[in-house]
Amino acid sequence: MIPLEHWLYLSGMLFTLGLCGVMMRRNVILVLMSVEIMLNAANVALVAFNKHLVATSPDGVSPDGQVFVFFTIAVAAAEAAVALVIAMALFRRLDTVNVDDVCNLRW
Amino acid sequence: MEAVLFYAFALLAVLCTLLTISAKNPVYSALWMIGSFAATAALFVLLDAFLIATVEVLVYAGAIMVLFLFVIMMINLRSEEQQGLRLSPLAILAAGTFLVLFGRAVSDLGPAVRARPNDLVGTAGALADVMFTRYVVPFEAVSMLLLAAILGTVVLSRRNAQA
Repeated sequence: MIPLEHWLYLSGMLFTLGLCGVMMRRNVILVLMSVEIMLNAANVALVAFNKHLVATSPDGVSPDGQVFVFFTIAVAAAEAAVALVIAMALFRRLDTVNVDDVCNLRW
Repeated sequence: MEAVLFYAFALLAVLCTLLTISAKNPVYSALWMIGSFAATAALFVLLDAFLIATVEVLVYAGAIMVLFLFVIMMINLRSEEQQGLRLSPLAILAAGTFLVLFGRAVSDLGPAVRARPNDLVGTAGALADVMFTRYVVPFEAVSMLLLAAILGTVVLSRRNAQA
C-alpha cells in the first residue's frame, strides 16, 4: 500500500518541473507543454485523493475526483488547440516563437 | 509488488518530465512528454482509475501530443534558435519555494493522509453513473467549451484574418 503522501509528493514534483519549464524555457511551444505537465500533475493529485476518500454513504465512494480529471483533460485539449493556433499565428506574423520577442500589447 | 511498480513508474514520470523541459530540440521534448504521460497512465492503473488511464493515453499521449508535433514540424525552428533550459536564479528560487511550501502542506495534512485506499474502481460504468447524473451540467458546459475552441481555432487560423 502506497501512502497518500507519496502520491502527493509525486504530484508536487511534477508540478514543480512544469513550473520550471514555464519560467525557464523561451520557446512558446515548450511553455505550453509545461502548462500541460502542470495540469497533469494536478490530475495525479485528484485521482490519488479520490482513491483515499473515506466512504460516507453505503454505496461506497463516488468517483467525483475522476470525473474532475475527465473535465480537466477536455479543458486541456481545448486549451492546447487554441494556444497552438495562436503560436502558429505568432510565427506567421513575427517569424519567431521566442516569448521574449513578443512584448507588444498592440501591433 | 505494488510499491515497486509505483516507485518505478514515478521515477520514470519524473525523469521523462525532466528531459521534456530540458531537451534542446522541441521534437525530443514532445517524445519525452509522451513517455511521461504513459508513465502517468500506468500510475492511474495502480490507483484503479482504468478509464482515466485509457483516456490519458488516447487524448494526452495520442491526440494532444500529435497536435504539438504537427505544430513543431510546421514551425521548423532553425537549429541556432533552439535553446535548452535557461537557468535563472529567480525562477529556481520560485520553484524551490513552491516545492518547500508544498512539502510542508503535505506533511501537515494530519489524519487525512492516514486513510487507507478505498475499494473504488474507476470503470467507464462507474464514472458514467456520476457524470451523466450529478455532473450533467458541467458535462454540457465542457461540450460548449470544446465547440467554442473549435470555432476559435478556425477563426484564428484563417490566413488573412483582420488584425
